[in-house]
Amino acid sequence: MKSDFLWVKVWNYIVSKSDFWLSALGSHVQLVLWASIIVIVLGVPIGIFISRHKKLRDPVLSVIGVLYTIPILGLFGFLIPLMGIGLKPALIALTIYGLLPVIRNSCVGIENVSPSVKEAALGMGANRTQLLFKVELPLAFPVIFAGIRTAIVMNFSVATYAVFIGAAGMGTIILVGMRTFNDGMLVAGTILLAVTTVLLDRLLGWLEKMVQRKYGMENLK
Amino acid sequence: MTGRVEVELQNVSKFYGEDKVVDEVSFQVKQGEIFVLIGPSGCGKTTTLKMINQLVPHTSGSIFVRGKDVTELDTVELRRSIGYVIQYIGLLPHLTIQDNIAFVLQLKKCPKKKQRERAMELIETVGLPLSYLERYPRELSGGQQQRVGVARALAADPEILLMDEPFGAVDPVTREQLQNELLRLQETIRKTIVFVTHDIQEAFKMGDRIGIMRGGKLVTIGTAMDIVKERDDFVRSFIGQGAVFSALDTIPVTRALIRDLPVVKKEALVDPAQPAFKGWDYAFVVDDRGQSLGYISLAEMEGPQKIDPDKVEPLPSSCLPGDSLKKALEEMLWGSRAWLPVVSEEGSFLGIVSFQSCASLLAG
Repeated sequence: MKSDFLWVKVWNYIVSKSDFWLSALGSHVQLVLWASIIVIVLGVPIGIFISRHKKLRDPVLSVIGVLYTIPILGLFGFLIPLMGIGLKPALIALTIYGLLPVIRNSCVGIENVSPSVKEAALGMGANRTQLLFKVELPLAFPVIFAGIRTAIVMNFSVATYAVFIGAAGMGTIILVGMRTFNDGMLVAGTILLAVTTVLLDRLLGWLEKMVQRKYGMENLK
Repeated sequence: MTGRVEVELQNVSKFYGEDKVVDEVSFQVKQGEIFVLIGPSGCGKTTTLKMINQLVPHTSGSIFVRGKDVTELDTVELRRSIGYVIQYIGLLPHLTIQDNIAFVLQLKKCPKKKQRERAMELIETVGLPLSYLERYPRELSGGQQQRVGVARALAADPEILLMDEPFGAVDPVTREQLQNELLRLQETIRKTIVFVTHDIQEAFKMGDRIGIMRGGKLVTIGTAMDIVKERDDFVRSFIGQGAVFSALDTIPVTRALIRDLPVVKKEALVDPAQPAFKGWDYAFVVDDRGQSLGYISLAEMEGPQKIDPDKVEPLPSSCLPGDSLKKALEEMLWGSRAWLPVVSEEGSFLGIVSFQSCASLLAG
């Protein structure tokens, strides 16, 4: 197979099948978006909680760490008997993968807020809620957000596997391309996935900067 | 000091497990007073301070703030009513100077406009330009940050300030400047201040009264002078010998003033043999209104005679009644003489201080 021939096929695929891959990308994004929302809503509070309860901290982190090491196909093996195939087990799988960086960074981020700053805030009469929202969360934000960014970007590529469990996404293009020996489709799918992942990472980086600027946090070391 | 008691500790102890960090400490701090807690590191002074605003809850004994037992008060409200300046400044790095100063007001949910006004007022009080309000803590030097720390503690206009080695993180020159500024500020704000330090010079300079701690116990309480006279070995070795000068710096010359000495009116008829002059080589000459003119040698007089204006020598350098004894002693050493006249700002002759009068003050 000549390489220039391949690039023409890739180009043709991208141009002529835009309906198909755009809808695949749409499902992919949706899957990752929901998974990320779940991960943030669960992970940040859990991280904060275990930073306050030292006895839970290590057990929780190690359980999450073990789950994180299960290969994705193996995880599907657990999930399919429990909840069949489709979007739901895919969401669960992505959530499990995304939790580790979010929980760990939230916990470490809160733990690393300087004790003298916390003491000053408490000494001035901040209650626990005020301490969390006015001091700890803003100061831990860069670390927490880095965890969220890692989780989202990672899940964006992990979501490719969702096709094996019956959920739509960019994995569909790659898998179909492989099975039908359509190398144009296969490579196009891979490139599209790679490009969108990089763009997503950039977008999140920009978002982080915007939030920090709004709250004056670009002044932190 | 006769003001009302703002802070009182009665037999307060703090245990961490088996460790007794603070051991049966009792003291009172009165309105408008600066009470300094000092001692070697690990003596429990900071823990004692933090028990007052309950950052560290005490194990036994009672703590009263404005007459109320702190365990019966809402901790958050208690802390908001007490200004707190901490050791490592502890400005919030993600907030502007304005938001740092107004932090307590923000916690109390005061309107933004009031927060801004108060921040503007306070930044001037601590001697920083208004433009700094928009800056972030890390854009300021250590000394400037410390000033913001003081401004922040004053935001809610608390009656009581707790200061934990507030000037520990800055260089000696800046520290002295900040100490002077705080003392000047204190003359107008008249807060009740509990001040923790490990620097005896600072303690003598800042403290109306000083409490020395050791191994969790309060060893002694008193003014700088009381402390210097203390015979306890630990106290003596802790304060060191140089501390005498720091203590003398806190005492006005009037405390060692000798008033009972020969004073004669100009052009008066003087008999050098009169009993009042016994033991004196010189007499001081004043005019009709008590203004100082100089001094005259009694030894050179032969029998009773009128004061000869030509023989009256002008006084050497003098000091004001409000000057410190340390300043007077320095002046004596510089002028290589054993005494120094004390003359009021209006020029009236008040008496003299001498090495001897200083020494007997220390001995007494």
